[in-house]
Amino acid sequence: MTTAQAPAAALIKPRSARTASAQPRSISPLRRGDGRSGWLFLAPFGVFYLVFLIGPTIYMIVASFFNTSMVHTDLGSFAGFANYAEMLTRPDFWSAMWHTLQFTIYTTPPLVIFAFVFAVLTNRVRHGQWFFRLAFFLPFILPSATISLIWVFVFTPATGLWAYMQQLLGMTPGNGILANPNTAMIGIAIATVWWTLGFNFVLYLAGLQDIPRELYEAAAVDGASNWSQIRFITLPLLSRTTTLVILLQIIASLKIFDQVYLMTSGGPGISTQVALGLVTGTAFTDNRVGAASAASVLLFIVIVAVAVIRQLFDRSAARREA
Amino acid sequence: MTTTAVRPGKRRSYVSGAAPAANGARIGTSGKTFQVVSIIVLVVFAIIWLIPSLFALKTSLTDNGVAALGAQAILTHWNPTLHSFASFFQAGDIWNWYLASGITSVITAFLTVLFASMAAFALSRLRFRGRNVTFLLVILGIMIPTQVLIVPIFQMLNWMSLLNTYWSVIFPQVPAVIAVFIFKQFFDGIPAEMEEAARIDGANRWQVYWSLIVPLSRPVIAAVSILTFVGVWNNLLLPLFVLSNPNLMTIPVGLATVQSSFGQRYADIQAGAILAALPLIILYLIFQRQIVEGVTGSGLKG
Amino acid sequence: MAKASGLSRRGFLAAGLAGLAVPALSACAGPVSAGLAGSQLNPKTLVYWNLFGGGDGSRMQAMEAGYQKTHGGSSSLQSTTFAWGNPYYSKVTLSTVGHKPPDVAVSHLTRAKPLWEGGILDPITDDDLASVGLSPDDFSQAPWQAQKTNGHNIALPLDTHPLVMFYNLDVLGKAGLLGDDKQIVPLDSMEKFEAALASISKVTKGPAITVANVAGETATPWRVFTTLYNQHADATPFLSDNGSKLTVNWDIFEDVTSRIQSWVKKGWLNSGLDYGTAQSYMFTGKAGMYLEGEWEITTAQLVKGLKFDMAPIPTLYDKPAAQADSHTFILPKKDRSPEQRKQAMGFIKSMLDQSMTWAQGGHVPAYLPVADSAAYKKLEPQAHYASAAEHAVYDDPAWYGGSGSTFEGIVGAELGLVQQRAATPAQARQSIESQLKIYLNTPSPL
Repeated sequence: MTTAQAPAAALIKPRSARTASAQPRSISPLRRGDGRSGWLFLAPFGVFYLVFLIGPTIYMIVASFFNTSMVHTDLGSFAGFANYAEMLTRPDFWSAMWHTLQFTIYTTPPLVIFAFVFAVLTNRVRHGQWFFRLAFFLPFILPSATISLIWVFVFTPATGLWAYMQQLLGMTPGNGILANPNTAMIGIAIATVWWTLGFNFVLYLAGLQDIPRELYEAAAVDGASNWSQIRFITLPLLSRTTTLVILLQIIASLKIFDQVYLMTSGGPGISTQVALGLVTGTAFTDNRVGAASAASVLLFIVIVAVAVIRQLFDRSAARREA
Repeated sequence: MTTTAVRPGKRRSYVSGAAPAANGARIGTSGKTFQVVSIIVLVVFAIIWLIPSLFALKTSLTDNGVAALGAQAILTHWNPTLHSFASFFQAGDIWNWYLASGITSVITAFLTVLFASMAAFALSRLRFRGRNVTFLLVILGIMIPTQVLIVPIFQMLNWMSLLNTYWSVIFPQVPAVIAVFIFKQFFDGIPAEMEEAARIDGANRWQVYWSLIVPLSRPVIAAVSILTFVGVWNNLLLPLFVLSNPNLMTIPVGLATVQSSFGQRYADIQAGAILAALPLIILYLIFQRQIVEGVTGSGLKG
Repeated sequence: MAKASGLSRRGFLAAGLAGLAVPALSACAGPVSAGLAGSQLNPKTLVYWNLFGGGDGSRMQAMEAGYQKTHGGSSSLQSTTFAWGNPYYSKVTLSTVGHKPPDVAVSHLTRAKPLWEGGILDPITDDDLASVGLSPDDFSQAPWQAQKTNGHNIALPLDTHPLVMFYNLDVLGKAGLLGDDKQIVPLDSMEKFEAALASISKVTKGPAITVANVAGETATPWRVFTTLYNQHADATPFLSDNGSKLTVNWDIFEDVTSRIQSWVKKGWLNSGLDYGTAQSYMFTGKAGMYLEGEWEITTAQLVKGLKFDMAPIPTLYDKPAAQADSHTFILPKKDRSPEQRKQAMGFIKSMLDQSMTWAQGGHVPAYLPVADSAAYKKLEPQAHYASAAEHAVYDDPAWYGGSGSTFEGIVGAELGLVQQRAATPAQARQSIESQLKIYLNTPSPL
């Protein structure tokens, strides 16, 4: 759910290819009885949808108004907005939100720029494209546990690969990038860029496919250099992909958990603690389900807001295209 | 932007036929320079991108004692040993973890494909009151960030006495709304005439779904299955909290929580990292195209 | 097309059936039926969880092997080691809430209290003790009294592990601080101690003593602070009423923290060192003394050519005190048959019987038949610091407190900053007060 499904949890464009079957015409005899079958076909998915998606959402909202505990089965005493008031005044809630933003700021530019450059260049290479796709995309399908174990080892203070490279380059390796509160998030960001770049890379490759070849040919006839072709054709025509990539990255950043939990557990101190880390810590370490639910609801609102922005953006972009 | 991951009748691979790569005949001098620079830049970065994985692989094949000395020793020591892998397989935990990861991933993929395609069939091919409202609800569900629901999902699983069973990992991942959407989009593209012909021949709705739609949907079924499999295999957050029995843990959770008690055995740790990823790497090498297209499709649509 | 699709459908069906058939076929296999049907895994196997890494981990494994040898081989026990600290206690809590706890688990004494309060533990009755030939008199009184909660026995102590002082014999010899017995001379006053720091510093041309305080190390600054704090006659509990009141004596807080800063200013105490480097300073003679829990004995003994010894923390103020905790065995709440209870108690007894193995790792045994034995009393350097356990100071009970807890994390981080001189004692106080406020004002969720 964290890697491959991360994009899946985002938004859908309701701009589906409506074909002949989409609109109900006159009800033909064949259509009679569709109703009951329709609900039967929907039922299995619907049950899971209600029990494991809608149910938890409602429970989360309800529990956020109670002093619900992990170790008791009841909801606990009514808390009103106390959990929200607490979260909104907790310095570590805001620092977790700030770290999330910090993570977004660190990861988005390299994830967009590198992915774009790699995709454009790969697209122009005639041989060995499979190799570049392997190199850039493979990390994306690896488990976060693998990624984190590799990078924590690479970042081992003094003797790790990162420190060794620094020495080779004539730098003095410090205490280790993950051990310093000022650099730990950079370490997580580096690992993340390495891990998820492949996703943006294939999105850009797909976008490049849709640029008509004739445009380049016409430009070439007009004597446009490769650079100006990229500048004036590729870049503008991929702008929609770029916006998509950025919005997906923001949504993914808001839900970041795995790398942080595995690489630093939110430390040193709380210098890399992120929103979901605070939620799980409050629920599963402090046993305070109510307070954790309030934090979840706040995070939920932020993510849905970004998702709605994306939805609106997509619609307007689709309208402009059409 | 119209590249659909999987589309009936017509499939297009975006690897070949791309404009810039194909206009080789007319590449001038500047074009040649550009090609050379492109390749050099790409190769350099591809190597940088491969280094962490190769370093992990090298470490896993190094003796624990040498690995403890650091990167320099690991890179300069060339006595490969499979000791770390052997000790993992002998310890036994890894088999249980593979079993848990495999069973949960396969069952989730199966249930997701079956239920999502049934739901999509109803939403795409059947006419009934409330269909549009239902579809709207499903679309809204896409916005729900499931990770954020970890605490209430834990509570619900607890009430159902499902904690510490594979089902606690499977069930919450079955309602993948994106899968319904991908299936629906695919089904929308299947000509209605085929279905009507079948119905006139006396097929009921289940037969239409099972004998007509499902067989036509092989590519999309493959894509959704593989993506679900990979997603469930890689999930950390959910199994981390719902599975506390070390025998039932999935492999990422096992690696993250169960520590070996012999201190810093770096080679063993990297061997574990590789073993966790190995099935996915094999899967990638076999289903490269489906995975890339599926990821692209769900990214563009989802 | 039709042919291909027919194949695909059958393939799809087959794949699905295969997915379901795997568990069906191997339903007899333990994990699979447990995972799918929720059945119990090998009911005869005792499931035991702990959080021991490093030297403790290998000693615990030896003790587990000892149990297996006398209780029917490797299938008699399934032991799992989890990552230390909060994640471990989360696992214990969540597994018990989810009705699949281990039969026996290790817990720090200070963490057993909140677990008990949350209804996670089964009390251990006198009958349980008697069933394996134990009685309350078999345990050291300090940890035994500390674990007693509302008249119930909630945890059986295996050891006490106080903060102690490690010292490098070569360095201290050069500094003239060793007596005729080749042990450190008594330094039981601030004047003597500071004079010793000054002379060690002259020998090392650097710090005299090291305390790990950076790279996420919050526990050690807390251990050192609370040791010195509790040496004051007027020391009050840091927290009271299960963590709802902050009752620390801020004058003493100010006194101890500024004293620590003054050592750093004079170059006697390191400003910022991570856990591993702090001890390697003492190992390599870059510092003369090192403060940490006695478990680091294993690491020190592995250092080639190192001559070291250990002692209780000198009494710098009014009375001896040493921050400590105890590893204990707990019985997570679950339905147990009388046989299962006896089995669990039998395992604990077997571990206690092997306390000598455990004591070699530095921990002071809580099981008196071993602690009072001639063999333990002969064990060196253990004998030189074992008395520190008598002055053990446990962390104050709080639902967010105990070893490796949120409380230690918050306060320890500020104390680490004080030592780095990145915060004044007043700033640290302010920061501690503001960060603890949420926890002080929150009724215990347990």
